[in-house]
Parts: sequence; C-alpha cells; structure tokens
Amino acid sequence: MPYRELTHYAVSVVGADRPGIVAGVTGALYRLGCNIADSSCAMLAGEFAMIMIVSHRKPFNKALLMEELKPACENLNLTLSVRHLTYREEKRQDDAGEICQITVYGADQPGIVYKVTENLAVRQINIMDLQTRLAGTEDNPVYVMQLEVVLPDGISSDDVVNLLKGLKDELKVEIGVRIVTPVEL
Amino acid sequence: MAIQPILKYPHPVLKKMAHRIERIDEEIRQLMQDLLDTMQNGPGSVGVAAPQIGVSLRACVVDVSQNRHGKDNNHGLLFMINPEITFKNGSATMREGCMSVPDYTGDVERATDITLSFTDGISGEQRQFQSTGFEAVAIQHEIDHLDGILFLDRISSISTGLFRRKNYR
Repeated sequence: MPYRELTHYAVSVVGADRPGIVAGVTGALYRLGCNIADSSCAMLAGEFAMIMIVSHRKPFNKALLMEELKPACENLNLTLSVRHLTYREEKRQDDAGEICQITVYGADQPGIVYKVTENLAVRQINIMDLQTRLAGTEDNPVYVMQLEVVLPDGISSDDVVNLLKGLKDELKVEIGVRIVTPVEL
Repeated sequence: MAIQPILKYPHPVLKKMAHRIERIDEEIRQLMQDLLDTMQNGPGSVGVAAPQIGVSLRACVVDVSQNRHGKDNNHGLLFMINPEITFKNGSATMREGCMSVPDYTGDVERATDITLSFTDGISGEQRQFQSTGFEAVAIQHEIDHLDGILFLDRISSISTGLFRRKNYR
C-alpha cells in the first residue's frame, strides 16, 4: 500500500511477564486492521516490553486505536503508550555510514552506559541498537553492553577505539570494536 | 547478452530444489551468459544463481575479484555447474544481503574454508579447489539458492532496525 495512504503510530507496552502478552496486544491490533511494521520485544528483569510501529489505512485515529488497545492492556496489566507519528518523524535514519559493533563489559558500576554513549554523542555517532545485561553473580555483578552504531564520514573504527580508550582505564572495562560490513551476494 | 530480472521472494522458484544439469548445450551456455550479465548489472553483486533468474537448474556465477573483501583472495570469475561442497571448515559471521530479498540484511554464519567441485560452465571441465574467506561465503550463498535456501533461512538474529535497509519514503 502506498505510504501516503497510511497513518503510523509508535506503540509501546510494558508489564510483568506472563504468557499471552504478545497475542493479547497483537490480537487487538489485528481486529482493528492494523499492520505491525517494525517491532521489537524484550524481557528485561521479568518485565516484558513491546515496541511497535503500527500502521493503518487512512482515515484512522488514535482514539480508535486506544479504544481497542486499552482493554487488552488492562486485562494484561500493561502500561500502554501511543504516539501518532508524522511523516517526518517516520523517516528512517539513512544508514549510509559504516556500521560498527561495540561491546563493553566489566565489573558493574554506575555510569558505564552514560560515559560510553556521551563519548559517542559528541562525535555525532548515532546509536542504532543498544542492549545491556547485568550478568555475573550477586557478589560480582558484571555489566555487559552491546551497541550498534553508524559511523559518520571521516570516523573509522580505530577512531572509535581511541575515543573509548580513556574509558577502558577509567572504568576498568573491556571494550571491543568491530566493523560490520553488509555484503550483497 | 541479456540481463534478466532478479526474482524476489516469495517467488516459488526461489524455494525449490534446482535440477542437475546433465550436459552443456547451447541453452546452458546462454544461461551462463545471462547469469554473468545479470550479475554484472547488479550493483556490487558478486554472484547470481539460476533460480534467481527463474531457471531451476544447478548453475551459478560468482566473482568476488572486484569486491574489497575478495580482491586479494579469489579464483576470478567462476561459471559453476552442479557445484558441490565436499569439505567445510571454520566459521565466520557476515551480514548478508541478497538481491532476491531486497531491503533486508541479516547475520549469517558460514564456513570460511571449503573444498568445492563443479563442472566449468564454459570449458565443461571438472574443477576442484579450495576456497577461503569471502569467496567461500559467496559460493555457499549461491549454492544455497540451488537448494531453495535463502539467507533468511540461516539468519541468527534480526534484533535491530539497522538490519533492515528500507527507508520509509
């Protein structure tokens, strides 16, 4: 369907995990005739989170969407958030730059995510994906973070290594950087 | 010279096991030429398999010599008929894309060292050699097409939006 005939919403739900969350939410969307364009779900410490970009043929509005989603979320004890996306917001980041995977891990401490991402942000390095996990044991918690970023023109993976070198010593974490090159076969 | 349109999933031929080629005749020679022309027409393409142009036969072309991942380690332009991998070793993950599955890439793990045998689509000779690195990955991707396997059947993760190259425009 042509893009212009569609209206888009960012929908997110979070709640204590239990079987049936995805089916409950997507069932409501299906009954409405919505399409799920992109989605990602994650289990975070027993909380199940769904983030979706949902589309529907125009005319459609947020009230109609809420009418069906709200009862589904109430049944499942989920916190619901819905935002209408305008055409501009919808445009995707152009991933023309090189893709770089960064892995950071070390003894858990405050500031790992902030200090790594702050260093990336000042160089205009855009984060496309970021996941963190608290691993290890209760006595020796280990923080693991994995990012995928897009390097702007003129920034190489060596630059990223140098950029984060200081943090390696400051936070006593291991930092790995590697370029991911998509190949067309 | 005939550039053929690349068929896109869900075209059923892409999921079919392709037939062995019993002899190289004019039709097969034309097919090899079409595969070459189609590959050279695809921007950055390093291989095309016959099912991708709608021919369910076990033939493909591969050439990684112009690609920066393969330029230092390759066997040049390969016309392969009934290719078979007789040995596999090592593994590496690459983010693959495919002309038959546009706007999408995914991480695929493949062997980094293979021994390959096939009938040369031009000379008709039987060839066997070892291929490593990117060329080995490309050959495995093309042979998968002959078995009706797409990289989507092998992806280990689709976890990020970045994997999709589509722009909402």
